[in-house]
Amino acid sequence: MPEVRIDAKPRTEFGKGPARRARAAGRVPAVLYGHSLEPQHLTLPGHEVLLALRTPNVLIRLEGLPGGIQLALPKAVQRDPIQGYVEHVDLLVVRRGEKVTVDIPVTLIGDIAPDGLLDQQLVQISVEAEATNIPRGIEVNVEGMAVGAAVHAGDLKLPAGVTLAVEPDILVLHVLASPTAAQIEAEIGEGEAPAAAPAAVPAAVPAAERGAESRTEDSG
Amino acid sequence: MLIPRRTKHRKQHRPDRSGAAKGGTKVTFGEYGIQAVEHSYVTNRQIEAARIAMTRHIRRGGKVWITIYPDRPLTKKPAETRMGSGKGAPEWWIANVKPGRVMFELSGVPEPVAREALRRAMHKLPMKCKFVKRELGEA
Repeated sequence: MPEVRIDAKPRTEFGKGPARRARAAGRVPAVLYGHSLEPQHLTLPGHEVLLALRTPNVLIRLEGLPGGIQLALPKAVQRDPIQGYVEHVDLLVVRRGEKVTVDIPVTLIGDIAPDGLLDQQLVQISVEAEATNIPRGIEVNVEGMAVGAAVHAGDLKLPAGVTLAVEPDILVLHVLASPTAAQIEAEIGEGEAPAAAPAAVPAAVPAAERGAESRTEDSG
Repeated sequence: MLIPRRTKHRKQHRPDRSGAAKGGTKVTFGEYGIQAVEHSYVTNRQIEAARIAMTRHIRRGGKVWITIYPDRPLTKKPAETRMGSGKGAPEWWIANVKPGRVMFELSGVPEPVAREALRRAMHKLPMKCKFVKRELGEA
């Protein structure tokens, strides 16, 4: 995976006020740590970080730091829940050739048999790989998979130099029988039937408690 | 319809409307979801109506998750009643949904079908919502 070069600036003032000022100026507060180094507080250019983080486990080459160039992986990203802009990034220092444990996406190719319902239990899987050679994802071919078929972590074809960081018998995906039209109708109908019974609301309260409540209301 | 089996107290204060969602802001179970853009109280009937609208559209092949639960009772005083004389009777069960909260998730269908199913479900909900997709590979 190619490195993404980002110019970092050390941060000298902390707290929500300076962090907000940095964001207003189009920069993102970040922290860099790992390898027994003192944590370094930085700001990064907002738009470049946003674009870089679109790639899973992107390797970032931080330039402009007092200690020289550092390679880092995003460890945690805080985003605004509605607008999606990056609020803060935790970066983990890595070295060339070092093995790291990361979560990579599991993507699917092909279509399963028409009467099946695909249940993907793991959309990302933990693997151990070289920090400078992290795969973008693992592809699983599900073409024509019949009901009852399953793929476990041990069945995945990993690129060279990558090993699983989870138990090989963990279920990744399986194919279930798709519900029949009658089952769907029954499910929809069962939702609609109690809608006509508004008396269900107080019924959720135990009778003893209801008695106690009415006593207190009477006394008030 | 979603209703708590038993509650500690029969009547509660109205839930806080301020702030944004602290958790449940990402699509975690399915591939697509409905995210709230505004605050609102969502009743169990609205949740059920949205679920049915979604299920009717996707028919076979999809899986639906409801990631909110109506665990807060709201009370109402009868019409033409003078103030006082205690709190009204429980009338609704609601989920206190804050901006950013993912309420429904869907998987196992192509994106155009999911978009349409979730659009139909959004019409049953009392606040502005948006369609969101799962983001992969981000810590």
